[in-house]
Amino acid sequence: MLFRNKMELKPQVSDTPSQHQQQQKQEQREKHFHVLAVDDSETDRKILEKILSVSSCQVTCVDSGDKALEYLGLVDANHQDSASPSQSERSQEDGLKVNLIMTDYCMPGMTGYDLLKRVKGSSWKEVPVVIMSSENEPSRINKCLEGGAEDFLLKPVQLSDVKKLQPRLLKSFDQSCTNLPDIDPMTTDNSKSNNNATKRKALSPEPSERRPKMKELTVL
Amino acid sequence: MERNQLHRQVALMRKSLFDQWLLQGYLDDQFIQLEELQDDANPNFVEEVVTLFYKDSSRLLVNIDQALEKKPLDFTKLDGYMHQFKGSSSSIGAKKVKAECTQFHDYCRAGNAEG
Repeated sequence: MLFRNKMELKPQVSDTPSQHQQQQKQEQREKHFHVLAVDDSETDRKILEKILSVSSCQVTCVDSGDKALEYLGLVDANHQDSASPSQSERSQEDGLKVNLIMTDYCMPGMTGYDLLKRVKGSSWKEVPVVIMSSENEPSRINKCLEGGAEDFLLKPVQLSDVKKLQPRLLKSFDQSCTNLPDIDPMTTDNSKSNNNATKRKALSPEPSERRPKMKELTVL
Repeated sequence: MERNQLHRQVALMRKSLFDQWLLQGYLDDQFIQLEELQDDANPNFVEEVVTLFYKDSSRLLVNIDQALEKKPLDFTKLDGYMHQFKGSSSSIGAKKVKAECTQFHDYCRAGNAEG
């Protein structure tokens, strides 16, 4: 018990003010990373929610693709196909921020792939969509990646899967957070750039150093 | 001090129980993953997930039973229920249950081919 308390009190970073500042920004950024999780299984939703909150993400869970679209403002009362763009734009203007969508593939009604296509054809198209499935089917995986999915995770999803995603996702999150000054010397393009290729190339080799909080958790 | 001792004892008992289940192949690595997600802030996480799983699976089993009563058997529906059951068993690390589901799934596919 005592040992654990000691660990928490001990400062995780060195004494230089800039590094302390960096850590603060790190935490600020992580608290605001909002994930929309879509899965029809209550058990899976609970587990995914825990994994994401342990990874310092804000999580919203819904149990279907339709509910996800509703949340994003992409379905109007008449359930018309691709609701008026102004509706979802209004949601975004109202400050609704979704930084990542994680969806199950196999769901009754709208599949994860259907949801992916709808999102990519909307004003939320810049939001990365990760698809999860228990089936390791290459054709399915390819279909999703070609449809614009950021990644494809095999279920059961584990904490390590999300940790692997984070460096890539937090990078573009950084770029879109205009009030956070640039702390990554590798970033040269402007904040609007969400080009996948750019993201991949710019993959920072030292993300683990920037995330003392993560380390703390894995040392359980 | 007494309370700490009791806590420790309960933890030891749980560990032996789960270790046994792990050895016997009832639970797999995924269950350990869930245990690692539990922390002081959510000390009942594993219990909550397992409870949810029981709730999910009892509902599914009722559906499956009902579907098995129908003539002719709707293999697609049965398969769908099994798929869900397999999914949540896999998520909590219920290895044996998952294996049984896979077996059932194979029977369904065979049944479909015949029907």
